[in-house]
Amino acid sequence: MNSTGGARAEVVRVEGLVKDFRVGVAARRRRVLDGISFSVREGEIFGFVGPNGAGKTTTLKILMGLIFATSGRAAIVGHDVRESGFRKHVGFLPENPYFYDYLTGREILEFYARLSGLSRGFARTRAETLLDWVGLKGAADSRLRTYSKGMLQRIGIAQALVHDPRVVFLDEPMSGLDPLGRKEIRDLVLRLREQGKTVFMNTHILTDVETLCDRVAIIVKGQIRYEGTTHQFLGVGTPETDIVFAGLSPELATRFEERGAKLRGVADRLEVRVAEKDASGVLREALGAGAQVVSVAVHRASLESIFLSAVGDAQAKENDR
Amino acid sequence: MTSLVRVGILAANTLREAIRNRVLYTLVFFAVLLIGTGVLLSTLSYVERERILQDVGLAAIRLFGAAIAIFVGIGLIHSEVDRRTIYTILSKPLSRTEFLLGKYVGLVITLWLQLLIMAGVFAVCSLLVNAPLTIAHAAALVLTAMELALLASIATLFSAFTTPMLASLFTVGLYLIGHLTRNLRDLGQRSQVVAVRELSALLHQVLPDLETFNLSTQAVHTLPVATSDVLLPIAYGVGYATLVLFLASVAFERRDFR
Repeated sequence: MNSTGGARAEVVRVEGLVKDFRVGVAARRRRVLDGISFSVREGEIFGFVGPNGAGKTTTLKILMGLIFATSGRAAIVGHDVRESGFRKHVGFLPENPYFYDYLTGREILEFYARLSGLSRGFARTRAETLLDWVGLKGAADSRLRTYSKGMLQRIGIAQALVHDPRVVFLDEPMSGLDPLGRKEIRDLVLRLREQGKTVFMNTHILTDVETLCDRVAIIVKGQIRYEGTTHQFLGVGTPETDIVFAGLSPELATRFEERGAKLRGVADRLEVRVAEKDASGVLREALGAGAQVVSVAVHRASLESIFLSAVGDAQAKENDR
Repeated sequence: MTSLVRVGILAANTLREAIRNRVLYTLVFFAVLLIGTGVLLSTLSYVERERILQDVGLAAIRLFGAAIAIFVGIGLIHSEVDRRTIYTILSKPLSRTEFLLGKYVGLVITLWLQLLIMAGVFAVCSLLVNAPLTIAHAAALVLTAMELALLASIATLFSAFTTPMLASLFTVGLYLIGHLTRNLRDLGQRSQVVAVRELSALLHQVLPDLETFNLSTQAVHTLPVATSDVLLPIAYGVGYATLVLFLASVAFERRDFR
């Protein structure tokens, strides 16, 4: 995983974005985004994470100019998203994309390329290159109605890249795919980063965030709960070490427990979880007392547990109101 | 790349969709069937066989042309939003107005192609019963083409900001009123109340006057048609459709695609 430095230029900037939708016959206002702010830097894979209904897709639609913010500001590569100037810099794959299924893979890419301003000849070459890149050259002349979901996702990524944009926005790109399809998309996303593209990815699949994203923002109920590097995020809380011993005397185990260690017996072995700073002391003492070390592992909170805790906090605040 | 090229690319794709999805063929089939019925009806009569054929034929062309314009037009934008194809298109470097115009131009070309097919069948049927084909017939078909373009713009306007159900109600309503505005105006002018006279005149000016595109009587009865009988309605139709498309563009530019 890349660790991104602070010197990289911001390519997406969102400041105090608010979106209210009017619902029902009485047109009651419902706040979907509540003053969110974050930024995305050049060349990184940015994960925009949140549970269903948190406001991820709404944010993405505002960034793509498909809906308009009630207040606040969003800019991509320095262009306000209310104007159309930013569009030549972005590619977009919506969630569960649907394309004109009466067209073939080659035709749809040529159509998007022509709309993006490429000449007829260059559009043809570009379509050919991208079909090869996403592994669909063999299905280039089949109509899209015959494509599987995974193939549609790949053609979707290809259309997003057709005009060689700087930033690629993907809305739940792994949604509904089988493990093989997910791996293919994950590989394509990593190849995008290798090409120097910035990738903004809406997702609620946390393993994808852990393996792909350089930085994340967590959105819950229309508010940003966390923004920073995935590395820092996973380091939230006190790191702990799990040491599994064989032949540890009960007296020594009790002593460790009194000092704050957590014990868990597994058959004739004992797992001792201690703060990372205390691990070497515990190891020395146990080895000195004749115990055997079976394994040592640094224990970090998973993204899932941190995510669930963020969602839980938001829920608790909601209940307090 | 100019706006015109982008509009052209979208229009060509809309035409391609109409051809490949074959949905419209059904309506053309029924129109051709109705023209054929005209031939059948004309054989049942000993007098004015040619006129019966041409009356029924031209009416069928206008009616089915209008049906296609309205029902394809109202789904023009809605289907793009409903199937979410609009998301990827509007993320490309083009404006919403270009998208709207591209879809509209594609629809109009589709309608005109279908009109051409129906006109061809009409001409063959006319020749079969030795009915005359004059310049008035061509003029009637040209004005039908203009009426379809205007109807398509109205359907596009409603499609740009409301649901297909409401869009069909509004467009069909305007189509029916559009063929009655002259009668309403004439009726209003006979009223003793000034307000009714002024209101009926105002409604005639604001609502589309679709009877202005009807030269069927002149064609069927081989009456003379002046150049102004064709050019003035065309100017009226182009002006009205431009205004309607401008309103459609304003509504579409502000719309949230949720």
